[in-house]
Amino acid sequence: MKFTANTRIGTACGIAAIIFTIFSARLVHLHVAKHEEYSRLAAQKHSTRQPIHAKRGMILDRNGEILATNLPVRTLFADASHMKNPEALSSLVSSHLDLDQKEVLEKFLTGKKYIVLKRKVPEETALALLKDMQEKNLRGIYYEEDAIRIYPNSEVLGHVLGFLNHEGRAVQGVEMSMNGQLAGKDGYRFIERDRTGREIVLYRGVEEDPQHGKNIRLTIDMGLQSIVEEELDAAYKNLKPETANAVLVDPKSGAILAMACRPCFNPNEPGKSQPEQMKNRTIIDMVEPGSTFKIVVAAGALNEGKVDEKTTIFCENGRFAYGGRILRDHHGYGHMDVNEILVKSSNIGSAKLALLMGGDKFYEYVRRFGFGERLGIELPGEIPGLVHPPTRWDKLTITRMPMGHSIAVTPLQITMGMAVIANGGRLMAPRVIQSVEKENGEVTMKKEPIVMRDVVPEKTAQFVADALVGVTQPGGTAAFARVNGFQVAGKTGTAQKVSPQGGYAAGKYVVSFVGFMPAEDPKFVLLVMVDDAKIASNLNYGGLVAAPIFSRIAERAARHLDLTPTMPAIPLQPTPIASTSPAEERRD
Amino acid sequence: MNTALTTPVNSNPIQIGKIICVSTVVAILLAVGLGFVYIKNQQFSIGEQIRQTESKIHRVRAENDVLLAKVTEMTSRSALQERVKSGYIAVVTITGDKIARLTPPVQADETSALRTAFNEVGRQ
Repeated sequence: MKFTANTRIGTACGIAAIIFTIFSARLVHLHVAKHEEYSRLAAQKHSTRQPIHAKRGMILDRNGEILATNLPVRTLFADASHMKNPEALSSLVSSHLDLDQKEVLEKFLTGKKYIVLKRKVPEETALALLKDMQEKNLRGIYYEEDAIRIYPNSEVLGHVLGFLNHEGRAVQGVEMSMNGQLAGKDGYRFIERDRTGREIVLYRGVEEDPQHGKNIRLTIDMGLQSIVEEELDAAYKNLKPETANAVLVDPKSGAILAMACRPCFNPNEPGKSQPEQMKNRTIIDMVEPGSTFKIVVAAGALNEGKVDEKTTIFCENGRFAYGGRILRDHHGYGHMDVNEILVKSSNIGSAKLALLMGGDKFYEYVRRFGFGERLGIELPGEIPGLVHPPTRWDKLTITRMPMGHSIAVTPLQITMGMAVIANGGRLMAPRVIQSVEKENGEVTMKKEPIVMRDVVPEKTAQFVADALVGVTQPGGTAAFARVNGFQVAGKTGTAQKVSPQGGYAAGKYVVSFVGFMPAEDPKFVLLVMVDDAKIASNLNYGGLVAAPIFSRIAERAARHLDLTPTMPAIPLQPTPIASTSPAEERRD
Repeated sequence: MNTALTTPVNSNPIQIGKIICVSTVVAILLAVGLGFVYIKNQQFSIGEQIRQTESKIHRVRAENDVLLAKVTEMTSRSALQERVKSGYIAVVTITGDKIARLTPPVQADETSALRTAFNEVGRQ
């Protein structure tokens, strides 16, 4: 078979066309489809990746008061290969950065390209050094941007805010739980430098802008927080307890308005504090709640119809033999209704209410009030507490748990348990985050109140609330919790402290008062808890130690919130702790 | 007649048109080359100006951030409370008639309707 000249030419052209088409296609593929990949590779080969740091978001209180912000600083480093006069440079650097000149010079003479001289250098120091270098025509010192976190209010709210460690990692508090939103995302830019180390702007490569962190607005009201902190400080100085906690909550939304613990720490200087100071005890400490827990059994028994408002319980005149042990009241009481059981804080009355309900039902109410579960506050480390199911109870548990023994709960759980009564029987999820906002104030996420569950009907909650008003009236266990002009409802708690060696520590008590105000339309629930106050044991009761602190905080909070008084003024009475004689109201 | 002087031998006439053409091309190439170098220099110079301006903006921003941080620290609640305590600044009471209220004002009686019942001396 013979090919004509035309056929041969056509074949050759066709083959050439196919080859060129293949090459062209490959070129298009490389230039278009693989553009990003190869530009990045090229950039990596010829240039250095310069990070553009994202700014960490601020933390604000509900009114926009700044609680955590950033202070720009610089990390200064040297490139010994760019230096002409290491001696002069070392002298200049050491004088500006307060470093030993000999050590600096030794580092320079190693010839290394990256020598970190000092971190966290204030902006003005770094600028002064660079200016002096420019004037003396020296080179070889460069900087990286950095920032340190500052907390303008120092110790105030330290446990809630948390802090960043020396590596800039969030360690606890909101800083840790909201780190994803606060941190942002660093950007980068590929750059080339000339022989003097200056960037050649013309050869800037791939660039990605940083995404700055978002601001976090808390539910905390710094006005209320500072009131709580001041009063807690005063109590901590006067009573010298091991720990003291206070939590202030809006019962209708579950918003935490203030939260404070003692001992505390300064998040600006976390290294100077002991781990014990850094614990947010309101969510990670377990305590036996004592008599504050009686609201659970009272609400449960009423709701289950085991008792009504008029049913009376015989309180055995102060000595109740059950399970081979004697349960005592502070005073011998006869027949009392539920209201009186709460007002007089009768252990026997509460135990009998639990017996009427039965272990399973009582346990169900304990859980419904939120005890034994994490309430989901946006702070790291919250614990669920310790609530054993009835299958693990011994014979005495059903008589001990109603008075707040044989159970361990967090201070936040106690507060939210009382908030159930203040909020018409509805348990709200506690929350400390109000919203997440961009730098320009645009809200990207708003946290709405979350109803966890309806624990008891409004009628039952109202009955218990009315009874709790009696607790703060003359004759109740917490008359010192009263606030002039308002009806206060609340419950005292005095629990013997659990010893680490087992059993109870003699003479050591955790005393508390949890209440709400105004009782008819609660604006806040406040818990004050004092652990092992150094006062005479005959004065170490919730009604004498914690209730007055509650009263002082509640009064100032009422002024801050501009609440309208609804009650007439009452005569002043002497302070309980200053009293030298045991107060008559000495009950738990 | 001597024709040798008049008859051109190996004549190589100057082709003005071609010279002009080549010269033009060379001149254009030269101009383009010089222009390229000039523009490149300009780019470097502008790049340097951009770098310096960026550096200045950055410095100003950083200084601004430092000042904002200082203002935040100095005007924080804790700092202001310290100053009130030390007497450096004073809180002036606003009289009732100067307050615009959304709710009717409550008249405090002699004992002050909003005073705590028991605890004014509780901190002693």
